[in-house]
Amino acid sequence: MSSWRNLLLRIGDKSSEYSSSSDFKDHIETCFGALRRELGHSSAEILSFLLQCAEQLPHKIPLYGTLIGLLNLEDEDFVKQIVENTQNSFQDALDSGNCDGIRILMRFLTALMCSKVLQPTSLVVVFETLLSSAAITVDEEKGNPSWQARADFYVICILSCLPWGGAELAEQVPEEIERVLVGIQAYLSIRRHTSDSGLSFFEEDESGGDVEKDFLEDLWERIQVLSSNGWKVESVPRPHLSFEAQLVAGKSHEFGPISCPEQPELPSTISAVAYGKQKHDAELKYPQRMRRLNIFPASKTEPIDRFVVEESLLDVLLFFNGCRKECAAFMVGLPVPFRYEYLMAETIFSQLLLLPQPPFKPIYYTLVIMDLCKALPGAFPAVVAGAVRALFDKIADLDMECRTRLILWFSHHLSNFQFIWPWEEWAYVLDLPKWAPQRVFVQEVLEREVRLSYWDKIKQSIENAPALEELLPPKGGPNFKYSGADDQEKTEQEQALSAELSNKVKGRQSAREIILWIEENVYPIHGQEITLSVVIQTLLDIGSKSFTHLITVLERYGQVMAKLCSDQDKQVMLISEVGSYWKNNAQMTAIAIDRMMGYRLISNLAIVRWVFSPENIEQFHISDRPWEVLRNAVSKTYNRITDLRKEISSLKKSVVSAEEAASKAKADLEAAESKLTLVEGEPVLGENPTKLKHLKSVAEKTKEETVSMHDSLEAKEALLARALDENEVLFLSLYKNFSNVLMERLPDASRDGTLQSLKSVNGDSMAVDIEEPSTMEVDDENERPKKSQSNGGKTTNGYNVREKEQWCLSTLGYVKAFSRQYASEIWPHIEKLDAEVFTEDAHPLFRKAVYSGLCRLSNEL
Amino acid sequence: MASLFKDPAKLSAYRDRRFNGSQEEFEQALLTATTVYIGNMSFYTTEEQVYELFSRAGEIKKIIMGLDKNSKTPCGFCFVLYYSREDAEDAVKYISGTILDDRPIRVDFDWGFVEGRQWGRGRSGGQVRDEYRTDYDPGRGGYGKLVQKELEAQRQLVDYGAGSLGSFPPVMAPHYGRHGGGHGHGGSYRHGRDYHRKRHRDDDHYARESSKRNSDHESRRASDHDARPEKNPRFRESGDSDEEEDDDRKRRS
Repeated sequence: MSSWRNLLLRIGDKSSEYSSSSDFKDHIETCFGALRRELGHSSAEILSFLLQCAEQLPHKIPLYGTLIGLLNLEDEDFVKQIVENTQNSFQDALDSGNCDGIRILMRFLTALMCSKVLQPTSLVVVFETLLSSAAITVDEEKGNPSWQARADFYVICILSCLPWGGAELAEQVPEEIERVLVGIQAYLSIRRHTSDSGLSFFEEDESGGDVEKDFLEDLWERIQVLSSNGWKVESVPRPHLSFEAQLVAGKSHEFGPISCPEQPELPSTISAVAYGKQKHDAELKYPQRMRRLNIFPASKTEPIDRFVVEESLLDVLLFFNGCRKECAAFMVGLPVPFRYEYLMAETIFSQLLLLPQPPFKPIYYTLVIMDLCKALPGAFPAVVAGAVRALFDKIADLDMECRTRLILWFSHHLSNFQFIWPWEEWAYVLDLPKWAPQRVFVQEVLEREVRLSYWDKIKQSIENAPALEELLPPKGGPNFKYSGADDQEKTEQEQALSAELSNKVKGRQSAREIILWIEENVYPIHGQEITLSVVIQTLLDIGSKSFTHLITVLERYGQVMAKLCSDQDKQVMLISEVGSYWKNNAQMTAIAIDRMMGYRLISNLAIVRWVFSPENIEQFHISDRPWEVLRNAVSKTYNRITDLRKEISSLKKSVVSAEEAASKAKADLEAAESKLTLVEGEPVLGENPTKLKHLKSVAEKTKEETVSMHDSLEAKEALLARALDENEVLFLSLYKNFSNVLMERLPDASRDGTLQSLKSVNGDSMAVDIEEPSTMEVDDENERPKKSQSNGGKTTNGYNVREKEQWCLSTLGYVKAFSRQYASEIWPHIEKLDAEVFTEDAHPLFRKAVYSGLCRLSNEL
Repeated sequence: MASLFKDPAKLSAYRDRRFNGSQEEFEQALLTATTVYIGNMSFYTTEEQVYELFSRAGEIKKIIMGLDKNSKTPCGFCFVLYYSREDAEDAVKYISGTILDDRPIRVDFDWGFVEGRQWGRGRSGGQVRDEYRTDYDPGRGGYGKLVQKELEAQRQLVDYGAGSLGSFPPVMAPHYGRHGGGHGHGGSYRHGRDYHRKRHRDDDHYARESSKRNSDHESRRASDHDARPEKNPRFRESGDSDEEEDDDRKRRS
C-alpha cells in the first residue's frame, strides 16, 4: 500500500506510520504533507479512499474533516468534488433508508462545517429538512404516525451531530441552531413516547411511578445538558482548533438541497391491526441502535461523553466485524481522556443482549469480549466478571431470551479461558429451590460447558464448590430399553426383536426389507406400541455413537420410521422414544429431534405437541431442555421460509433478465426479417437465411427459457404459499398450547394483575417446599457481600417465589421471547390469531406477554 | 464491511493440491463454499463438541471427522458443512483462532467435501503435519510420527541413556492461532481425557520423583514415555471393536 494510504488509514493511531507520536496536530500535518505531494497525480484515488476512510472509521471523522479543510486551501476543486460526492451518497442513503450511512455522513458534514469547508447554514438546512419530514410523519392528519421510528431516527441523527459541531454552530449561527432546537422540542411534544417494554432487558417494575425515558428523550436531555455546559465535550477531539488561523481562509462550498423520501402511505383501511403492522415494518427498517444496559454503578462520566463513547464503540463493532486485531485495537484505543472499561463492557453486553436481535450473531460479541480480555489482561477480565455478577444478581428479572444468550455466551467464554470461575461464590444456589432462576442459570451454564468439553473436565473445574456437582447434567450415556444389561422390565421377546433388527441392519438389509419384516412379523403380533418402541429404540441405538452415525441411520432407515409413524399421534410417540432414549443427554435429544424434522420424519406440529406434553410442561421452569427443542423447531421452519424467499427473489431477477434477453432476441429477429437484402440482384425481404435461422433459434430458445423460469418461479411461490399456511398453523398451535397451559396454572387472582403481583405472592400463607435452611442463613455463612451496584433495587438472595408462580413467570417469559423473535412472521397472521387465540377468554397476562413481545400497543388490549 | 483492512486476495493460505482445477477455479470454489475445514483439533474432540460450538454460527448440515487412514480414528481435523454461505463465513470469522477443547483451532473455507478427503494424507495414516512434528502434543497423539519411530528404535537399543534425549527437545510448536499462546498447556490435568485412567505409569513415576514433578514435567514426558501414540478414550464409547469396519462403511456412505 502506498504511504499516503497508510497515513490516511492510521491517522490518530499510535503506529509506526507516525513514529509513535500521539499528537493529532503532528498527524494531520504529516498526512497533509503527503497528500499535498500526491494530489497532482492521484487525486481520484485520494478522493475515493478518503471518503471510504471517513465512512468506515467514523471515530476519526474530526481528523479527516480538518485534513480536508487544509486540502481546501490547496485545491478548492478537489474539495468541491468531495462535497458533491458526499451530497450524492447522502441522498442515496436517505432514499434507501441506509441508517448507518445517514448517521455517519451527517457527522462528516458537521466536521466539514467545523473546518470551514461547508457553510454552517448549509448544515442547518439539512437539519431543517429532516426535522420537517419528521414533524409531518407524526402529524395525525398530514402524516403517518405509525412511521414514527423513521421520524425519531432523523431527529436522533440531528442531535447526534451536536457533540461534534454544537460549539461552532452556536457561535456562528446561534439563531438558526436555536430554531432547530425549538423545532426538536416541538417535535418531542407531538410524538408518542416509545413504550417498547417488550424490548427491555429487565422485566420492569410496573408499580414504579417514573416511566423510563426512551432513547430520543434521553438523548435530548443529554444534549440540553451539553448546551448548558457551553457545548464542551471531552470525548470529541477538536483538531480543527489548532489550524483555525489557516482554515478561515478556505472557501466554503455549497451543499445542494437534499430531500427526504415520501411519507409512507397510510394503510387503506384504518385499524389498530393495520397500524400495528406498519409500525412493526417501520421499526424493522429503522431499528433502535442500542438500548442501555445499566449494570454498573453510575460513573462520573458526563452524560454526553457516554453517548459519544458508545457511538464510537458501536461504530468499531459495526465496521470491524471480522477484523479481530483492528477491532480490539480500536475498541481499547479510543481518543478519549478518561477510562471507559466499564462503559465498554456495558456497551458490548447491551449489544449481545439487544432485543429483538443484535446487529450480529451473539458469537461475534463473544469473540470481541475474549479479544478484549487478551488486549487488556489487567483490567477487562475483572470488568467482565463484574458484569456477570451483576447480571446474575438480577437474573430473575432478566428477559428469558437474554438469559439464554447469557448462558450460551458465558459457557463459551469460559471454555476459552480454561473454565476458570470462582464457582464457590455461587455454591449457595444449591440451597435455593430447583426452580430458582439463579440455580437454573448455573445448571444451564454447566450443561453447555459439558457440551463444549466433557463431563470430567467440568467436574474438575468446579472443585472449589464440589457440591455443585449436583447441578451437572447426568453423565450423558444413552438409555437403551433393550440393552439387556440391566434389569429393565422388557420381555425377552422384545429383547430378541431388537437384536434381530440390529442384526438385519448389520447385515445391511434395505429399508424396504425391514419394513416388510415389520409389517409381516412384528406389527401383527406385537401391536403398535411395542413395535414402535423396539424399532425406534433399536435404530437410535445403532445411530448413537456420534452425530454422523445418527444421520447415517436416518438416511438409510428413515423410511422405516416414516412408515411406522405416519400420523401426528405416532410422531409424538416417536419423539417420546427419542426423549426417553436420550434422557441423560439434552444435546442428543435436541439434535435427534432436529434431524428427524430435517428429514421430514416428524412435523413441527408434532414437536410442539410433544413439548407441551405433561412431562415436559413440568420442566418449563427448571430446564432449558424442552425450550431448546421448541426453539429449534420454530427456527428450522423459519429458515425454510427464508430460504424460499431468497430463492424466489433471485428467480425473479433471473426472470427479468430472461425476459429482457427474449425481447431483445425478438427485436433482433424482427429487424432482420424486415431488412431488405439483395439476392441475385433482386431486393428480397429478410436477412441472409443462415443468419435469420440463427436469430430465429435464439429467439425461440430465449422464449423457452423465459417460460421455464416463470414455471419454476410459480412453483416456488406455490411452495412458499404452502409454507406460510403451515406457519400459520404452527403459530396457532403454539399459542393455543401456551394459552391453555397458562390458563390452567395462572392464579385467578392475577387476572387483573401484573407480573409483579405474581412475584410477590410469596410463601407466607402456604408452606414453601424448600428443604434447605432459609436463604438468609446461607448469606451469613458465605459472607457474600451484598452487591451495592445492582440498580434493579431488589436483591435476589431472598428468593421466595413459589414453584407455581415461577412456572408462570418463566413460561410467560418464553411466550414473550417467541413472540418477539418471530414478530415479523406472526404479524401477517395476526387477524386469525386474534380471532382464535388472543380472545377475551385468554388470560390477560398471556395476552400481555404476546403483545409486549410483538411491541403491539397495549391500549389495543 | 471493513474493507479497508482486509486483503480480499487472501482467501486462504492453503492450496489443496488434490483440487482438480486451476487456481481461479479453486478460489471461486472457496468464495462460494458452504464448507469449512477445521484444523489443529485434539484427536479426542467429538463430533458433538464440534456441533455445539459450530452451530453457534448457524445450522449445520453435516460434520465429517478426519480419520487416520490406518486406525480409522480421528486425527485432528474435520469438515463442517453449513446450509448457508453466510453461516460458513461467520464460522471462519468468529471461530478461527478460538479455543475448542483447550486448543486454538483454525477454521478456513474449504472447496467442498468429496469422498476420500476424510482420510489423513500422512505416510503413517494421520495428517502430514503429525509426521514431522518434534514437539510433544498430548492432544494429538504425543510426538510426531517420525519422532515416535525414532524413539521406538532407540528404545530397542537397550540403552535408554540420557543421550537420546538431547536430540528431541520438547519444543512447543508455535500455535496456529495468534491468540492461542499459553492456552491448553497448563497443568498436567488439562492434557487429555481420562488422563488419570490412562496414565498410571506417570502416576508411579511422579510418586517417586515428586520434587521434580512440576519443573520438568514436559521433559519427563519426553524422556520416559511415550513413543507410542496415545489412545483416544472418548471415541465411540459404546462401540465394539468388531464394528470398526461397519463404521467405516457408514462413514463412506
